[in-house]
Amino acid sequence: METGLSSLLSISVDFENSHLFFPTIVSWIMAVLFVIVLATKVAPFLVAVKKGERSLPILGEPMDAWRFFGTLALIAAYFYLMAVVGNLFPYTGYGFLIVSIVFVLLMSLMYMHKWTKKSLIIVATNAVVAPSLVWLILAKLFAITLP
Amino acid sequence: MELLSLFDITFFLLVAFGTLVGIIFGAIPGMTATMAVAVCLPLTYALGLHNGLALLLGLYVGGISGGMVPAVLINIPGTPSSITTTFDGYPMAQKGEGEKALRICVIASVFGGLVSAAVLFLFAPLLADFSIKFSYVEKFLIILLALSVIASLSNSMLVGIFSGVIGVWLSLIGDYSTTDGGNGKTRLMFDFMEPYLFEGFSLLPVLIGIFGISTILLEAEKGIKSEVSGKSVKVSKDAGFSLSIFKGSLTNLTRSSFIGTFVGLLPGVGGSAASVLAYTQEKNLSRDSSQMGKGAPQGIMASESANNALTGGALIPLLSLGIPGDSTTAVLIGAFTLQGIQVGPLFIPENTETWYVMMTALVFANIVMFFLMFYAIKHIAKVVLVPKHILFPIIVMMCVVGAYAINYGIMFDVWTLLIFGVVGYLIQKVGLEVAPLIIGFILGSQAEVYFVKSLESAGTFTTFFTKSPIAVVLWLLILASVVFSVLMSRKNRAKQLQNIAS
Repeated sequence: METGLSSLLSISVDFENSHLFFPTIVSWIMAVLFVIVLATKVAPFLVAVKKGERSLPILGEPMDAWRFFGTLALIAAYFYLMAVVGNLFPYTGYGFLIVSIVFVLLMSLMYMHKWTKKSLIIVATNAVVAPSLVWLILAKLFAITLP
Repeated sequence: MELLSLFDITFFLLVAFGTLVGIIFGAIPGMTATMAVAVCLPLTYALGLHNGLALLLGLYVGGISGGMVPAVLINIPGTPSSITTTFDGYPMAQKGEGEKALRICVIASVFGGLVSAAVLFLFAPLLADFSIKFSYVEKFLIILLALSVIASLSNSMLVGIFSGVIGVWLSLIGDYSTTDGGNGKTRLMFDFMEPYLFEGFSLLPVLIGIFGISTILLEAEKGIKSEVSGKSVKVSKDAGFSLSIFKGSLTNLTRSSFIGTFVGLLPGVGGSAASVLAYTQEKNLSRDSSQMGKGAPQGIMASESANNALTGGALIPLLSLGIPGDSTTAVLIGAFTLQGIQVGPLFIPENTETWYVMMTALVFANIVMFFLMFYAIKHIAKVVLVPKHILFPIIVMMCVVGAYAINYGIMFDVWTLLIFGVVGYLIQKVGLEVAPLIIGFILGSQAEVYFVKSLESAGTFTTFFTKSPIAVVLWLLILASVVFSVLMSRKNRAKQLQNIAS
């Protein structure tokens, strides 16, 4: 019996495939846990949703779709354009500076609830000053790489 | 005397600057110490190790402390760890005792901070000394223990473990690095991803994405409403404060500080657990707790000394074992790596200078925090009202700088921000736990190396049980954390049933 058990527990790791050894174990554990979570947490939750006692996360909740998806789109455009503009002026950080000014301005405008003359001036000033300051301190003073 | 030569005026100025910025971040509801550290990381790239640490530790201490300001003044905890400060702080502010309450907070905070710094100073080298003898087997078990402790303190242990395993899985994406004795082959991805993900996701962009970008997405979804509009921030002028309030509170302060330090020691447990635990203990144990919740100074003292005591506590496992004690120290681990320092059992013996520098920075940050908040609280209180439409774009911008510059200009790191910003948002929405996931992500690749190397040398799974007495003790601790979690959830369930019945 004892030899049977110890041979069951003995293992040799083949170096050629050692990169798959631990990930395979983790993947299996993750899959098993996922099934248990589905059975014990998600299924009862979905039943409660059907009865109308609970609501689905994200889909069943009220959300400010305009600001949420606007944020996602703006961030994606910001990251993308930064690289594009940055390639026009390599090693200067201008890509970061120019695109950041536009991004900060647009995001502020999108998040603002009441547009007044005073708040617009503050937002515009901030959009120019903040990225310029960051660019000056980091790219110029500290010589940190920026797009 | 040699030690003194390590410091110059820049060092102390950086600690002070970090503390101030940290306080501001902490004071703005929704911004946390973790975010402060993550956002300010790019500033440390250009600084040396010691000055970088000065800034980061200042940010950490300031960020944890700042949360008290909105907690007292507008009943919104600035950071999760100051949630119990609102229970008594806000009632006091309503009675016109806002300034008095804040000053009590400040003194309790500095007390907690210094007690935990002392514990850190005494305890971390001991733990490091002890763990230096660990082989791969014990190191693997320590990671397993860390994950099981975090999971057992999550709302649901199952979900906690699941989140932790997801974190480990994510960390395995990329190659099995040859520098760790692997074979350099990639796994868990498709071929077309190889140019981007050969080395897996970089740690810091992942953390900055989860703590920075997803916070903004969560707020955007709610429409960036200003919680503070309509509320006025008034720090009343009252002469009601004197040190005599603290008479007879030494037990409370000391107990709460040690609770905070201990909770900080446990990996991945946030500050809210520390202050809630300290608060309930004060409620259970003090002679007169009838006023608690209605504006009793003792409540604020318990809460604030505990949450500041976290700082020293969370640094203990970080510096002696390389396991972060909370999400902020998780970001710190990234900052260390960036400076070329590997935290773990060898850190303190091999970097004695750095260790003393850190202790100095930590103590000095607490002192700066005290003076800034004790005397300038009225001015700091105004930042609570900074509108989010100004703040958020700047935060996104700083996140970009942090991610881009980390590996000297890799655009994919910036995209990682967005990927994990969205992942972090979804995780929190579907009810998974962020803390175990992060800790799993940080420790996952080490866990792999320890696990595989242990098996390669021993050739049998039994080595994990029979290697040494320490291994057996670690298994017992893992078992204890699981049993503890099961008992707690039973108790909670019984309580819920009782509540429903009554």
